Amino acid sequence: MSTDTVIDKVTHSIWNQVQYSADLCIKCNICTSHCPVTNVTDLFPGPKFVGPQAQRFRNPKDISVDASVDYCSGCGVCSMVCPHGVKVMEMNAKARYKLYQKKPIPLRNRLLGRSELLGMLGSPFAPIANFMMSVRPVRIITEKMMGIHRDAPMPIWSFETFRGWFKSVHSKSPNRKISPKRVAFYHGCSTNYYEPRVGKAAIAVLEHNGYEILLPDQVCCGLPMQSNGEFGAACKNAEKNIKSLVAYAKQGIPIVGTSTSCTLSLKSDYQHILDIDTEEARIVAANTYDICEFLLDLADAGELKTDFNPVDFTFPYHSPCQLRAHNMGLPAIDLMEMIPGVKVDHIQAECCGIAGTYGYKVEKYDIGMAVGKPLFDHIKASGSKIAVCDSETCRWQIAGATGAKMIHPVELLAKAYGLQDFYFN
Amino acid sequence: MTRYDTVVIGAGTAGLTTACHLAQSGQKVLVVAKGIGALLLASGSIDVLGFHPADSLTPVKNPAEKLDDFLADRPDHPYNLVGKETLKTGIDQFLQLVNQAGLDYQGDLNRNWMLPSGMGAVHPTCLAPASMVKGDLSTDESMLIVGFNELRDFFPALIAQNINEQKLGVEAGSISLEINIPIAGAMNATPIELAHAFEQDAFRNQVIKAIAAQAKSYDRVGFPAALGIKQHATAVAHLEKQLNRPVFEISSLPPSVPGRRLYEALKAALLKAGGRLIIGSQIVEGTIENGRITQIRMETASRLKAVIANHYVLATGGIFGGGIFADAEGMVTEPIFNLPVAADTNRHHWFEKKFISPTGQPVFNFGVKANSRLQPLNGDSQPVAENLYVAGAVIAGSEWTRGRTGEGIAVATAAAITAQITSQAAKSLR
Repeated sequence: MSTDTVIDKVTHSIWNQVQYSADLCIKCNICTSHCPVTNVTDLFPGPKFVGPQAQRFRNPKDISVDASVDYCSGCGVCSMVCPHGVKVMEMNAKARYKLYQKKPIPLRNRLLGRSELLGMLGSPFAPIANFMMSVRPVRIITEKMMGIHRDAPMPIWSFETFRGWFKSVHSKSPNRKISPKRVAFYHGCSTNYYEPRVGKAAIAVLEHNGYEILLPDQVCCGLPMQSNGEFGAACKNAEKNIKSLVAYAKQGIPIVGTSTSCTLSLKSDYQHILDIDTEEARIVAANTYDICEFLLDLADAGELKTDFNPVDFTFPYHSPCQLRAHNMGLPAIDLMEMIPGVKVDHIQAECCGIAGTYGYKVEKYDIGMAVGKPLFDHIKASGSKIAVCDSETCRWQIAGATGAKMIHPVELLAKAYGLQDFYFN
Repeated sequence: MTRYDTVVIGAGTAGLTTACHLAQSGQKVLVVAKGIGALLLASGSIDVLGFHPADSLTPVKNPAEKLDDFLADRPDHPYNLVGKETLKTGIDQFLQLVNQAGLDYQGDLNRNWMLPSGMGAVHPTCLAPASMVKGDLSTDESMLIVGFNELRDFFPALIAQNINEQKLGVEAGSISLEINIPIAGAMNATPIELAHAFEQDAFRNQVIKAIAAQAKSYDRVGFPAALGIKQHATAVAHLEKQLNRPVFEISSLPPSVPGRRLYEALKAALLKAGGRLIIGSQIVEGTIENGRITQIRMETASRLKAVIANHYVLATGGIFGGGIFADAEGMVTEPIFNLPVAADTNRHHWFEKKFISPTGQPVFNFGVKANSRLQPLNGDSQPVAENLYVAGAVIAGSEWTRGRTGEGIAVATAAAITAQITSQAAKSLR
C-alpha cells in the first residue's frame, strides 16, 4: 500500500467514523457550553467529558463508557455546534448502548422504547386508556412501579388510527388525488396512534399540490429503542423499514414524513449510530424528506401553490433539536411566512427537555423541565394560546408545561389552504 | 426561500459582523457554519494593534498613531488591502452594531485598553465590554482578584503576583473561594457554568459575603469573565452596589463567556434583521461559471443541498479556524472553492522554534490572496469570481498573534465587503 492511500484514508475516512472523530476534539468545550442538560444539573458532566475526552484514554477502536452518559438526552446539540466535526452525540449514543450491555435494561426503558406497541395497546381502548392515564392515583402507581414520572406529558390515544382512516376512509374517497407525481408517506407511531390529524393535514396539503399519496408498509423507526439502549431491536425495525421503503426510493418516489425524529433516523441514525452501512440504507436516506423541507423545495422550484387565505396571527415557534440535526436550516419558518398575515416568533431555545423518552423518566423529569424552562417562559409571556413545533414529543411536553395548544407547521398550511381547520382563541 | 442576496460561510467575528451589516441594510442573508465559530474561544474584545514593532514588549498605547508604521512594516497584512479609513469605519460600525444589540462595548482607535490577561500579563485591546475595561491597568487603582477553587483554570494568586511583579503602579491582591458552583460536577466547573451561577441572586450573595471584608482594602474587584450571560448587567450592578466599588471581568480559558455574549448578541441582531443562521452544516463545494459563483452546496443529514445567492462571502478562518487545511504531506488548500493559497510547502518553515515568537508563526499567514475589493485571486492575479469575497483570517498575511490584529482584520474586512455589496445592490436598483 502506498503512503498516499494511507493518508487518504486517515483524512477522509477514519476521522469521519464516530469513534475516531474524537481525535478532532481540541477540548474547546463549545459543546459543553451549549449542552442543555449539563447547564441545569451536576449529574451530567457534559458531552466533551463523557465523549471525546474519555475516548482518548481508551482503545481507539472502542467507545468509552461512563455511567453518567445515561444522563445525556441525545438531543444532538453538541454535534451540531462542534466546529471541528466531532460526532459527540453519536459517540454518546453508542456508549449508552454499551452501558446497557453490561447491566439489564429496565422494564421501563423497554416499554418507553416500544411506542408502537403502546400505541397498538391503547388505541382500540382509547376512551378508557385515556381516562385511566388521567387518573392521578394511576399515574402515581405508574411512577412507583414503572419509574415514569406522574406529571410527564402522556399523549392522548386516538381511537381511529391514521392507517385505519387512510385505508378505510381516504382510499375509498372519490376526492382522493390520483397523479403521476407521487410521494410515499412515512407516518411513524405518533401520527398513527396519537395525532392522525397531523397526517391528515400533510396529506391534504400534498394532494392540494398535486401529489398522490402512497402508504408503504412500515414499523416504528426504532429511535425510542435506540435511545433506550436497545440497538438490536432498533436494528430489526430499521431493516424492515429499509426493505419496504427502498422499493419506493429506487423508483425516485420521495419518502416524506411529518415526524422530524423518524425522518432523521431514516436519513442518518440508521447509518451513523446503528451502523447499517448498506447501499439500500443510503438510497432510502438520500430520498427521505421532512414534510416542510419537501414543500419548501417545491416552493423554490415554483411548484408550490400559494392560494393561501390570510391568517393574521403571530405564532411562537420552537425548532426541535431533531429537526435542527437535519442540518438543512428551518424550512417551516420560510413556509409559514409565505402565508399572508402570519408572523413567526422564532423562540431561541436549545431544547424543550423531553428529548424523546428522556423527560418521562422519574429521575430525569426535573432535568427535562429545567431544560425547557426558558422556552416555556417565552410561550407563557407571549400570551399566545397556540404555538407551533415540528416534533410530536416536544409538542406534548410544551403543551403540558404551558397549556398552549400545539400544532405542526403543516396544520397551519392546511388551515391557510382552507383544507383542514384547527380552532384557537 | 433558499435564494438569498448574500450567503456568508462562517460564524466567527468576520462572518457574523458582515452578515449583520448586510441584513440591517435590507439584504436577505444566510449564514452557514460547520459549528459555532471562534467567538467562544476568543476574549470577546476587539484587538486592532497591540504590539509594534513585532519584537517590542511595550504595548501600543494609541493604535491610530502606530498604524502607518505597521502598514509599512507588514505590506502583506490585510489592513493594507482595505486601508486605514476602512479599518476606522469597521470599528465604528462594529461598535454601533453591538451596542444597538444590547451590549456595552467601549473604546476607539485612539487608545488601547490595558487589560489584565488570565495570566496577569497586559493585554492591549481597542474595544472591550464595559465589564472588562474597568480592569484597565493604566490607572493606579488597586484590585482584588477573586477566583473559585472549583474553576480550575483561573488562578487569582498567579494573576495578582504577575501584575505586582510588572510594577505597573497597580497593587493587586487575591482570594480564592471555596464555594460550590451549583450545576457544575465536582472539580469540573467551566466559565459557562460559573456564569449561570452568577445569574442567581443567592449565589451572588454568597460571593459578596465571602469577599466583603477583604474587598474594603481595594479600589476595585476583578472576577473571572463569568458574570452572567443573559443577566450580565444585573449581575454586575448587584455586585457593584453591594461591594460599593467597581467590579470587572478578566479573561479565562474557553469557553469564553464574553465571547458567548457577543455570539448571542450578533445572532439575535442577525435574526432580528430577517437573516437566517444554519449552524452544524458544512458548505462542501461551489460552482463557478463565467466568472461567477452560481451556487454552493451544503451537506445536510443525508444529501447535498444547493444554496443560491447573488454574493458569497468566505469567512471560514485561517488554519486555526479550518478555512485553510493542511495535510500530512504539506499540501495546503482552501477546501470549499479550492482557491489558490499562499503558503510555504516546506513544513520546516511553518513554525518558529519558540512557541511565543516575536516574529509570530508563519503558518498563520497561510491564506487566500485577495485584491483591494477582497475578491480572491487566481494565479494570474485576476478575481476567481466577481461575486465571491473573503473576510477575516482566511486572507493571506493575517498572522494575528504577532501584532494582535485578529479582530481588527475581521471588522475591517466586514466593513469593506459590506460597502462593496451594498453599493452594487444600489447600482442594480438604478
